[in-house]
Amino acid sequence: MNLKKWTGFVNNALWVVNPFLLLIAFFNDKLKLGMYLEWLGKMHPLFLHFPIVLGILIGIYYLVDKKGSVDSNKLHLILVGNAFLASIVAILGIFLSQQDSYDDSLIFAHQWGGIAIAMIGWGLIYLQQYNQRFKNNYISRVEFSIVYLLVIIIFTHKGAQLTHGVSVIGFPQKEAAEKTQVIKVVTDSNATLYARAVAPILQQKCVSCHGTTKVKGELLLNTPENILKGGKDGNILTANKDKEAMLFERIHLDITHKKHMPPDGKLQLTTEEVAILSRWIKAGGDFKTKMNELAKTDTLFLLANKYTPANNTKAEVKTGLPDLAEYNSNYCTVNYLYHGSDAIDVNFFQGNFYSRAVLKKLEKLQDQVARLNMQGMPLTNEDVSIIIQFKNVENINLNFTKLDLKAIEPLKQLKKLKLLSICGLNFTESELSNFLKGSTIANINIWSSVIGKTQLEKLASNYPKTKFTIGDNLESEVLKINPPTIDQDSSIITKFLDVKIKHLLNGITIRYTTNGVDPDSITSPIYKNTLRLNRNTNLKIKVFKPGWISSDIVQRNFYKSEIRPDSIYLISSPDQKYLGDGAKTLVDLELGGSNFTNKKWLGFKDATMKFMVNFNQPRILHKAFLNSLIDVGSEILPIVSISVEGSNDGIKFTKIAETKFPYELTKKDGMKDIKTFTVDFPNNTSYRQYKFTVLNVQKLPLWHQSKGKKAWIFVDELFLN
Amino acid sequence: MNEFLEHGLNQNRRKFLSKMSLGLGGLALGSLMAPGLFNASNEDELFANVLPHFAPKAKRIIYLFQNGAPSQLDLFDYKPLLQKMHGEELPASIRKGQRLTGMTANQAKFPLAGTKFNFSQHGSNGAWFSETLPHLAKMADDMCIVKTIYTEAINHDPALTFFQTGSQVGNRPSMGSWISYGLGSENKNLPAFCVLLSKGKGNGQGVYSKLWNNGFLDSIHQGVQFSSGEEPVKYLTDPEFIKRGDKREILDEIAALNQESYKEIGDPEIVTKIQQYELSYRMQMAVPEITSLQNEPESIVKMYGPECLVPGTYAANCLLARKLSENGVRFVQLYHQGWDTHGNLPKEIEGQCKDIDQSSAALIQDLKQRGLLDETLVIWGGEFGRTNYCQGALSKDNYGRDHHPKCFTIWMAGGGVKPGVHGETDEFGYNINSLPVHVHDFHATIMHLMGVKHEEFTYKHLGRRYRLTDVAGKVINDLIS
Repeated sequence: MNLKKWTGFVNNALWVVNPFLLLIAFFNDKLKLGMYLEWLGKMHPLFLHFPIVLGILIGIYYLVDKKGSVDSNKLHLILVGNAFLASIVAILGIFLSQQDSYDDSLIFAHQWGGIAIAMIGWGLIYLQQYNQRFKNNYISRVEFSIVYLLVIIIFTHKGAQLTHGVSVIGFPQKEAAEKTQVIKVVTDSNATLYARAVAPILQQKCVSCHGTTKVKGELLLNTPENILKGGKDGNILTANKDKEAMLFERIHLDITHKKHMPPDGKLQLTTEEVAILSRWIKAGGDFKTKMNELAKTDTLFLLANKYTPANNTKAEVKTGLPDLAEYNSNYCTVNYLYHGSDAIDVNFFQGNFYSRAVLKKLEKLQDQVARLNMQGMPLTNEDVSIIIQFKNVENINLNFTKLDLKAIEPLKQLKKLKLLSICGLNFTESELSNFLKGSTIANINIWSSVIGKTQLEKLASNYPKTKFTIGDNLESEVLKINPPTIDQDSSIITKFLDVKIKHLLNGITIRYTTNGVDPDSITSPIYKNTLRLNRNTNLKIKVFKPGWISSDIVQRNFYKSEIRPDSIYLISSPDQKYLGDGAKTLVDLELGGSNFTNKKWLGFKDATMKFMVNFNQPRILHKAFLNSLIDVGSEILPIVSISVEGSNDGIKFTKIAETKFPYELTKKDGMKDIKTFTVDFPNNTSYRQYKFTVLNVQKLPLWHQSKGKKAWIFVDELFLN
Repeated sequence: MNEFLEHGLNQNRRKFLSKMSLGLGGLALGSLMAPGLFNASNEDELFANVLPHFAPKAKRIIYLFQNGAPSQLDLFDYKPLLQKMHGEELPASIRKGQRLTGMTANQAKFPLAGTKFNFSQHGSNGAWFSETLPHLAKMADDMCIVKTIYTEAINHDPALTFFQTGSQVGNRPSMGSWISYGLGSENKNLPAFCVLLSKGKGNGQGVYSKLWNNGFLDSIHQGVQFSSGEEPVKYLTDPEFIKRGDKREILDEIAALNQESYKEIGDPEIVTKIQQYELSYRMQMAVPEITSLQNEPESIVKMYGPECLVPGTYAANCLLARKLSENGVRFVQLYHQGWDTHGNLPKEIEGQCKDIDQSSAALIQDLKQRGLLDETLVIWGGEFGRTNYCQGALSKDNYGRDHHPKCFTIWMAGGGVKPGVHGETDEFGYNINSLPVHVHDFHATIMHLMGVKHEEFTYKHLGRRYRLTDVAGKVINDLIS
């Protein structure tokens, strides 16, 4: 294979190598390299001189050769080789950069400079090959080569600085070390606010001009003493009557202003940093306040706690807060208050599953617990002795824990405690005032059902520094009891039916009647456990309780259905829309309910309702009940009459009974209702077949909006006795 | 040199394009060194570690949704001018061609209707309350009343969907689902998002389960609807012949089988299923304990009103909401139906107010006295407001009002909101004079109260990142204390 062919292959290979280079350069923070690639990275210093030398030679060649006389094939070969070597070296460089941490800005410049060299080298191949102006015009070649040479020299020099120090080709100097100094941040909660946030900001953004190497404006910002000393214009932290503190003023001036600090062109303060410094100054600018003495919700605390120096090295940015998974269970959740905070929020749930071991385990986090919710947990003194170790806790909820006030006495030691909830604990007035003596807790939620509101209010007025939330016990208000519920779905009694009455209020008396009379609080029977019904019953229930208005009456009809027919069928068909489940609907032991469209009703309008009840043997009947819906607005009116014929052979029928239900329907009458229509049979009526004919209103009355039309009847459930 | 070879090595458009494919090879090679570079990022993992973004003011939300849109003009936004101009035509300069619903668009006249109710001022901020809300009026100093919410939709379904999901078209996750996804449940034995329904006697509008749907989020985040019967969660009690231990074994076996099929098929919904079985197993213990009313003292019953003992009523749901919330449910969503007062407004609204007044006030008071109001955000409001002109026949003390999207009132309490009256509508109660709060702004503010930056809380679906506030919404700092 000849050289030209190789050149072609390498030229093509550049199309693979360069996108690869760009990709790993863009995502270099996500790379994960194996041992061999890391080893390859170490070859970077070994190879890097080839493309540098080659590139410089090419640059010089363009400067020197005015005519462009070199054989284009040979030049092409050299350019391809140069581009390829530059790309490979850049790739190796990126591999190498993964292994150690370097100064961020230097490595950034060097990496992208190196990539630029590779890309210019690559582009040069095509420039030389296709661009006529470049090929023919010496001046444009000179322009190019100057740029090319500068790029090579500047950015490869950055690499030299990386390995041999910034001043690799300068004379030895002391000052240089300060520039790359790593900003140290003290993150433990015992640190002062100054050490945690203020000092690092000053060190990073100010000390380069107001430090030991340069002292501009006679101001030093490197130590608390020097800061307090101030500059040539005096103190910088205190505000005058008409002037803000100088430091405050300078950092707030517009960047275009001459006196703005840091000066334009220097690394500027971020918004957060400005906020931290200004709040610190406003709060007095002292150097002793510790982070854990600030309220966890204080903005200054929040800002300072979140502060990390910009562009700091990767390792220090990570807050390294431990994972809390081991403390979490189904009945206890332990979380940081928010992302990046080391304050912890603890919630216990479901007292039945409470275990002290879970609380005990939290001792490891004792300085971090800021909120503790133990509502409803079965706590004892031992639990309290664990809780008092949470020195920084600000909010404790002990509602309904069954502790007494003596048991929680030790909580008064917790200096950071701002909010204590002890609702529903059992205590007397004097116990409470004993507890409040010497307490420094700012907010106490003390709503309780034991001590009355007025007494609590009186007591609270003795402690004006504490805010009490007493709540509303509404002792005096008289309210009406809600109605009871009947816990029995069926309303049909076959042999007997057990009915339960339910009400959730304590201390009530439930009274009932079965004869249609309204229950009263004196004579009506009292409901105990279960009511056993064995005949048609109109059950009325009312609930009484001293100090309350007694409930509305709840009533329900229960129907006896002793005799079940062997079969039943409809002679006339109900309306298509209201077919129910056919004849079965009438004897399915399920009532229709209040909604006629629920398919539990048979609806008739044009056809007269006729149905047949069959027994295998002749059967004596005493009574029949038919339940029917009334909904005047929907043109559903009461039954007009029911007549019954009997037969033993199915051919010859004898009329047995006919009952008419005459009444004048007025507008107000029974707008919506369910009524029972009864037919009494003469003694000793015994047949195998009974035919029922049920008549509806043929003409709606004059006052009705659809006057003159036929009315509907809706029938469900037939009871035979 | 072989001419064919030479030709092959020459540069032309075709060669250029085919060399680009070599470039792809280079990229592929590079991606081997940065594992996961081209993978879809695992969003769940992403958010588990960064939420809440900052210290939250509220840890939990109880949203008392007044379904059907209560009339702000008869409850909170007092406009004496309307009473003065009762029956006069709405000036066109006020309406400005606002789009109306099909129900009144064809009305020949738009007579202004002043409220029939007496208003009075309450609390240190002098907030106006209608006489229909005597109990809430007592809580004025805890309430952050926003008179200037506005929306884009003029009909119930889109407006409701907009409020719940941030989009008028369905299929997006509900607010509660977003919260569940972002912050998870505090109590691992209860769902993070619970839904309670009740119904007043007024003209009603339906609620549909799509309103508490998880949308494109995992279905574990969908709202769990509690039934209005005596058993709030159905089928939670085991049949008599199944013991707790047996149940554990059954679930373990089923989970093992599900794991198998997850390995085979990889459908994430299978994992959701396993989680749901586990959650319901734990709910079997937690729910009866939490929902039992037996331990509530009589003063609580009096506070919420005795209706709170009747399952399925708004009062009972308010009480249940408090119990769920204090047990760590992040988002309790109530819906109370019956506010769609197109006609017969005075009578209907009186009934509705009777349903909600005492128990809503009691909820605030109850949370407050337990020390929970600071960390629980209570929101009350409908999907839009009602018009200042009458729908249908207007008489001296009877009128109806159509839908009005351009301003209406909601109130919030607790959870870091600033008590007081915010925003001002014009004297006709038709347009906003100051502090307009769009639904997106409202969502952004609520997210902010929960410690979430609404712009950074996203979920990638079908190649696009979605958020509750879509591409809009700004935090209204005036509402935050």
